[in-house]
Amino acid sequence: MIQYSTPEVRAGQPPRRGLPNLGLGVGLRNQHFSYLMRHDPDVEWFEIISENFIDNFGYARRVLERVMSVRPVVMHGVSLSVGSIDPLDWDYLKKLKALAEFVQPAWVSDHLCWTGVAGVNTHDLLPMPLNEESLRHVAERVRQVQNFLERPLVLENPSSYLEFKHSTIAEWDFLSELARETGCGLLLDVNNVYVSGYNHGFDTEHYIRNLPHDAVVQIHLAGPTDCGRYLVDTHDQPVPAAVWELYRLAQELTGGVSTLLEWDANIPDFPELVAELRKAEAALRGENPGAPVRKSGSASAVSNPVGFQLSTSDV
Amino acid sequence: MSEQSLSLLMHWMQTVITERGGLGEKLDAAARRHELRAEDVVAERRGLSARERLAVYTGGYVLRLLECMRADFPVLCGFVGDSVFDTFAKAYVITMPPGSHSLYDLGADFSRFLEETKPKNWRLDAGISAMLDLPPELARLERARAEVLRAPGTEDDPPAAEPLSTFAVFGEELTLQATPCLRLLEMKFPLVDFLKSSDRGERPEPPAPRTSLVAVGRSNYRLHVEEISLWQFAFLRACERPTSSYSAVRVAALESGREPGQALAEVAMWLPVAFELGFLRRVV
Repeated sequence: MIQYSTPEVRAGQPPRRGLPNLGLGVGLRNQHFSYLMRHDPDVEWFEIISENFIDNFGYARRVLERVMSVRPVVMHGVSLSVGSIDPLDWDYLKKLKALAEFVQPAWVSDHLCWTGVAGVNTHDLLPMPLNEESLRHVAERVRQVQNFLERPLVLENPSSYLEFKHSTIAEWDFLSELARETGCGLLLDVNNVYVSGYNHGFDTEHYIRNLPHDAVVQIHLAGPTDCGRYLVDTHDQPVPAAVWELYRLAQELTGGVSTLLEWDANIPDFPELVAELRKAEAALRGENPGAPVRKSGSASAVSNPVGFQLSTSDV
Repeated sequence: MSEQSLSLLMHWMQTVITERGGLGEKLDAAARRHELRAEDVVAERRGLSARERLAVYTGGYVLRLLECMRADFPVLCGFVGDSVFDTFAKAYVITMPPGSHSLYDLGADFSRFLEETKPKNWRLDAGISAMLDLPPELARLERARAEVLRAPGTEDDPPAAEPLSTFAVFGEELTLQATPCLRLLEMKFPLVDFLKSSDRGERPEPPAPRTSLVAVGRSNYRLHVEEISLWQFAFLRACERPTSSYSAVRVAALESGREPGQALAEVAMWLPVAFELGFLRRVV
């Protein structure tokens, strides 16, 4: 049985890539600004979407300043496009670094993916062909980004709905080799492992067991949608039972790392969000607080929802 | 696999995702352009075909961006209705795929797109023809509002030693500057009340066309959208760079056809309000 890490226990743990175990956290969302300016948040840290705060000098920055003053913050990006064959966007990287100098995040993360080529940003996390040449391509770009940001980059495994015939390396082996070659950290999204495992037919436990556990610095949790013949990473549901099982395994293998609950559409009130996050404590005690995956027959299930980034907040 | 092949695969997939038309048309375009078929590229497992797998991405691309456009232009969406708005927005994202790292830039050119694509050669009643200008104008106002919410403002300005008095402009010469979060719009319709009513959940009647001068600003993170008069518009525009109050008054008088003395008196009464609304700041 895994003992839930108390702050005292976490203080004695070796950090991952020199990074701390922050405990249980949630994403900073516009819908919760009013609540967070009036209450001490009942979570241990926050993750921001980096692009939401680049060039943003409105109320969101004031809320971020308030949150930074009371809790650690991590920057999670969606536009690095580290796998793209387009040149790295140095204008974006300069803004990312400037934001990091302001936020002083515990770490900066993004995804193993590409978002577009020829100057287009689809704002989707598109799947990589996984082979020797794409590994070398991504590794070189990760090194460049890390050198520029002057910190290790942490990369998340995205959910995917197709695999390329040109792929010759399993995703877990690709991430392992990437972490070994570059020293980058891994953001293990166990919901994405579950979704991709279902969609492509691989063993999700095998995936998690075959990652370099000392490189994992954070775990993402989320709730997907069952569209019948495939799952979609909709980030709009409670975490299902199967994902809690993978979470428990990942925490056992890593020795305990920071946990973040992602909820990006149909976002509940902050107390309800925290209640869902706190189920992680039950999961680590060996209980399984999850429900079945929500089924939808609709073609409107959207992976990686982003509309929440433009929703308004009350001042 | 060579770098060229990695490039080829990414260009192929992006064509499939962003090309105009249904999935069949997208795949045909990608095959013509890159000489690749879905079955050449995508592994088919668990009974899901290559096309079904690609459809998750092609459908998600449009729906995801549509959701953002609805969030950015809620009043326009409410005015024209979901179906018409979705048609406009889909055409926009397909014609002008996003390129910025930020979703906040997604709608930057929507107003211009609506203006450039509105029907021009149809034989329409003059009143109806004028109303075709309303969607791009409404989009322009909503875009200005979104920009003001994010722009640098006055919230972190050091507090003034003394509040600006009504008569300050008569005394020592003030140097004024429009705040970075001020937007000035010359519009074809009076849309300020329409916007505010829509924000309250009402369904106001569309206004008749007439020139309307609008200032959008922010103070204490609160948005202010105000219809202003010609002299106020001219005064604020004159302050886009640091300028003396007297110079700006002269410009306001000239452009509005007022006597300078009258303009000075009106500025004196209005200046504290302009500061309160976050339109102007004093340069020391």
